[in-house]
Amino acid sequence: MILRTLAFLCLGGFLSIVPSLSYAGILEDKDCGSCHRLSVEDTKKKFSGPDLHFAGNKFQPKWLKQFLQNPGVIRPAGIITNPGFLQGPPENLPPHPSFLEKDARTLANSLTDLKISGQPLEPVIIEPLSKGQRAKIKYKFERTFSCISCHQSLNLAGKVRGGLSGPSLVNAGNRLQADWVANWLNTPEVYTAKSRMPRYKMDSATRTEFSQFLMTLKKEPASRR
Amino acid sequence: MKRNCKNLLARITTLAVLAWLTGCGQSHEKQAAAPLKPPIRQELEKARPQALQLKPVQVTENTRQTYQWYCAQCHGIEGKGNGINAKLLTVPPRNHTKAEYLETRTDEQLFGAIKFGGLSVGRAPCMPAWEHTLDEGTIHSLVQYIRELCQCEAL
Repeated sequence: MILRTLAFLCLGGFLSIVPSLSYAGILEDKDCGSCHRLSVEDTKKKFSGPDLHFAGNKFQPKWLKQFLQNPGVIRPAGIITNPGFLQGPPENLPPHPSFLEKDARTLANSLTDLKISGQPLEPVIIEPLSKGQRAKIKYKFERTFSCISCHQSLNLAGKVRGGLSGPSLVNAGNRLQADWVANWLNTPEVYTAKSRMPRYKMDSATRTEFSQFLMTLKKEPASRR
Repeated sequence: MKRNCKNLLARITTLAVLAWLTGCGQSHEKQAAAPLKPPIRQELEKARPQALQLKPVQVTENTRQTYQWYCAQCHGIEGKGNGINAKLLTVPPRNHTKAEYLETRTDEQLFGAIKFGGLSVGRAPCMPAWEHTLDEGTIHSLVQYIRELCQCEAL
């Protein structure tokens, strides 16, 4: 009986490890680590792509899978640490590889497992914003905190506007997790040693408002938002 | 007799009024003539908020790197107002090599614009506040770096 229990526990443990091994395997197989930081410990190398060691905290799994099948440009000016970042949008930026549905799903699952443990948690409850609330937050987004100077966003009519040096927020509502947005605004140093974005000291209510506002930014017809 | 008395009273009254008027005028003239002494530098510095007091700072390699890392995104690598965000902003970023405008701004105003953002000095909201990113010493040195770029001083 004891032996059977031990065997069961071992098998259970093995099974719970297998998926993460295969996830890690596919990240290695596809050589994701050559451009992206996949581990907190990996601090020595300079990466040409964005850090993904907290992809599970940051991205929505559904978006990850779609992006991996049909990649688009999120950082029109390239990566902030790359030489030539300030020279203008890189014309010959190598396209991100695209993957078949099966691989994209496994890769997305694998990336979703990459999380920073013990990150400050700031759960954001997503409530629908009225047009008036959106307009009020958009005012803060553009005028009080000047976010529009570096990030592309959508105006109230759904038109794209804004700067290029920061990642585009046009589809932030499908791409990012609301909790991550609030955490990033609160403690960016948890995710990156040095960003080009100003550090803000927002109160919790403003961080929540910004998260909720970004969740409304979606590449969809305005009527569906 | 009565008439003489009345005349005397009228003359005395006239003299008194004239004396009073003249005295007011002098006093007024004295007030107007009082020199408008410009406040001395120490008084000005006392009156300024602590954060805006000018400190002698030098432009260092760190200043230039800070400018390239943060400011150049909008103001350009050479400070000509042609950074990668420039064309997409509602109000074009300031060209830091042009003296015409910058010499009309005091160092305190430049310091305030960097620390508290464009709106704080009545300029465009495109310029964010860097008060929680850069320490005051760095902001002071950035002001000096802008003075280097424009080769100008506040008038």
